[in-house]
Amino acid sequence: MSTFQGLELAKKALYAQQGALYTTGHNIANVNTTGYSRQRVNFETTSPFPMPSRVMPTIAGQIGTGVEIGTVERVRDQFLDKQFRAENSRANYWSTKSEALSRMEEVLNEPSEDGLSAQMDLLWQALQDLADHPDNDGARSVAAQRALALTETFNHLSKSLQAIQGDLKEQIDVSTKNINSLLSQINGLNEQIQKIEPHGMLANDLYDERDRLMDQLSNYMNIKVDYTKSSDSSLQIADGLASIQLIDRSGQSFDPPIYLIDARDRDNVIVNEFELAYNDADNAEKGLVSTITVDGVDVLQNILSSEGTLSGLLESYGVVGGGENNLYPNMLNELNKMAKQFAEAFNTQHQAGIDANGEPGKAFFVTKDGSTDITAENITVLGEIVKDPTLIAASAVNGGSRNGDNALDLAKVFDKDIEGLDDTSVRKYFIALIGDLGVKGQKANTMKNSTDILKSQIENSRMSVTAVSLDEEISNLIKFQHAYNAAARSMTAIDELIDRVINQMGIVGR
Amino acid sequence: MRITQTMLQNNMLKNLYSSQAQMNKYITQINTGKKISRPSDDPVIVMKGMGYRTEVTEVEQYRRNTSEIWNWMDHTDDALDKATKAMQRIEELAVQAANDTNDKDEREAIAKEVEQLQRQLVEIANTNVNGKYIFNGTDTNVKPVEVDAEGNIVVTDTDGRNQDVNIEVSKGITFDVNMDPDKMFNKELFTNMSDFISALKSDDPNQQDEMNRALENLRKGMTDIVNTRAELGAKMNRLELIEDRLSHQEIIAKDTMMKNEGVDFEEAVMNLLTQEVIHRAALSAGSKIIQPSLVDFLR
Repeated sequence: MSTFQGLELAKKALYAQQGALYTTGHNIANVNTTGYSRQRVNFETTSPFPMPSRVMPTIAGQIGTGVEIGTVERVRDQFLDKQFRAENSRANYWSTKSEALSRMEEVLNEPSEDGLSAQMDLLWQALQDLADHPDNDGARSVAAQRALALTETFNHLSKSLQAIQGDLKEQIDVSTKNINSLLSQINGLNEQIQKIEPHGMLANDLYDERDRLMDQLSNYMNIKVDYTKSSDSSLQIADGLASIQLIDRSGQSFDPPIYLIDARDRDNVIVNEFELAYNDADNAEKGLVSTITVDGVDVLQNILSSEGTLSGLLESYGVVGGGENNLYPNMLNELNKMAKQFAEAFNTQHQAGIDANGEPGKAFFVTKDGSTDITAENITVLGEIVKDPTLIAASAVNGGSRNGDNALDLAKVFDKDIEGLDDTSVRKYFIALIGDLGVKGQKANTMKNSTDILKSQIENSRMSVTAVSLDEEISNLIKFQHAYNAAARSMTAIDELIDRVINQMGIVGR
Repeated sequence: MRITQTMLQNNMLKNLYSSQAQMNKYITQINTGKKISRPSDDPVIVMKGMGYRTEVTEVEQYRRNTSEIWNWMDHTDDALDKATKAMQRIEELAVQAANDTNDKDEREAIAKEVEQLQRQLVEIANTNVNGKYIFNGTDTNVKPVEVDAEGNIVVTDTDGRNQDVNIEVSKGITFDVNMDPDKMFNKELFTNMSDFISALKSDDPNQQDEMNRALENLRKGMTDIVNTRAELGAKMNRLELIEDRLSHQEIIAKDTMMKNEGVDFEEAVMNLLTQEVIHRAALSAGSKIIQPSLVDFLR
């Protein structure tokens, strides 16, 4: 046994405890860092003395030689990460949907005293008053103005919905950019980790950062993370290189799998970014998202079968072939249909009557831009009628010039079953539309709340494992401090032993 | 489970947010008086509510329509009342004139009075309410009876004279508010009177037959007016019934609407107070979260 082994042993102990103290300090310092997981020093005993060999000294048993820091490990549970990301995707999907639906509700503004439904009631009233006083120019003006107000409400709804749709498009663009940026950041971390792990180290803080970015990526879609060993010389407990797959909402990989970051071959890591394309064909689905390509493959349908902000936005904004699922395009279509069918039924009735000048009624509702198809966006009242309300055909053809029977029939158009509106009246159709929106909104809100709760529960379990507890760190601090002090004392003891041998031995009788 | 300060803090914030959201919900309910403010709060209530709103608007409008009908009918009744009185007077005069004992001057005087009464009837037939001639069918802008330069009475016979003026009083039920002028203020009436006047003015003393025929005709004219008035009375009864039903409907419709979407204030206020207590408790619990840690107890 060496004379100075005791000093060496105490020194190692000092180093190890100091390292643990520093790690504790690091934990305390990062108590509020997002995504930080607490780190733990794994102490290991150094190789004992003597090692079995042919020339080993004959002493009883092995004598320990002290301590060293084996690894500094982060305390984290990858299973909880997986659960968290799945719930996070769901929660984000529903919160996006709920947000989009609630903005739609705000625009439609029902039930209220100034929504479309109220405007229809006001025009109905004005027509009734007109039927009572067909000879009164005031009643005519009121009817014309209220009809104008109704068309303006249609215009306003259409414009507002389109404006929100425009916002959604911007959000889709920004989300795609974010996703691509996250992918390249994650890959950057993969590269750094690949440089560190082969040296037998654990890149704890880089892992944390990479996990945090992957959490962010899971806001947008369901992802699955697999790890590949970064090198043969990496530690067993090293995380390795992360590959990220897009998966569906039930957690299944697609066939063939869609890799956003493919690190299966550690020497050739591939990052596949999203590329977004809109439909520029001049058809009913103009402007909707047509494809999202990853590595040359269209994954739009795959993204839609995944949950997350991105699929929520896509469904709200509308994709080619989305049909009923396209939230905003669908509502716009319904409003267009309502405006068109109502205007046509009203015009037919209006043309059956005669106006105050004895002339047959003209088309009451027309388009602003002169196109043939009336839509919610372009519907308006014929300019001449607004200027000269005597042109409102309030009389029935067979009546006198002061007869208001056609005004009554015009009022009845609101309750008439219209074939183009699934054989129901325009009022009922609108109520059903709002009801449908309400049901969708209610579902989205309920799902948002329940997925939020699930998400926060899992987040709590995850934090329970990874978050820094100050009490724990302080007690560790004391533990390591004491160990440090004791190691120093043990060095003093050895020092005194050696002092005895060197300075005070062999001077007997002096 | 290992609980850290961060977790405590996060949970506290989450709970405070949801408690605030509840407070906001109840305060909105109390401020607006409505249980719901958007379709997703409760689609069924909203759908029903939209239907009820339309119903309330309709019933209100129908009630407004009935008051317009009353306007027509009251004026019609008033006019017919005056017309009856005038006719009664004419009848009296006719009876008096039929008596052979009157001399020329007396007959002249009767003729003058009848002339005046005839003019009065013309004015009644031309009754104008708010710019509308109520005894001319749908042609309310045309004077139904004109007196020309020679003093002849001409009934303006326009297309709409016999058309009903219809006003809706319930869904699909219309009410014809005017009385057909040909039933009372017709050409015959005025011609008969003119014949009577000319008979009175005639120098020929033997007008007895003429007088009797005139009396007969005038009595028939009067019966027409009385009959019309009776018909009007029946219509008024019908309108009263309709109005009664409408006012019930209005109350019921408004009540149903309130029950559907209106907030129960006692409940909402209680909810708010309870929530306030919970919120205060949550806040005071929050203050405990900033607990002394182990650090405070170490040197």
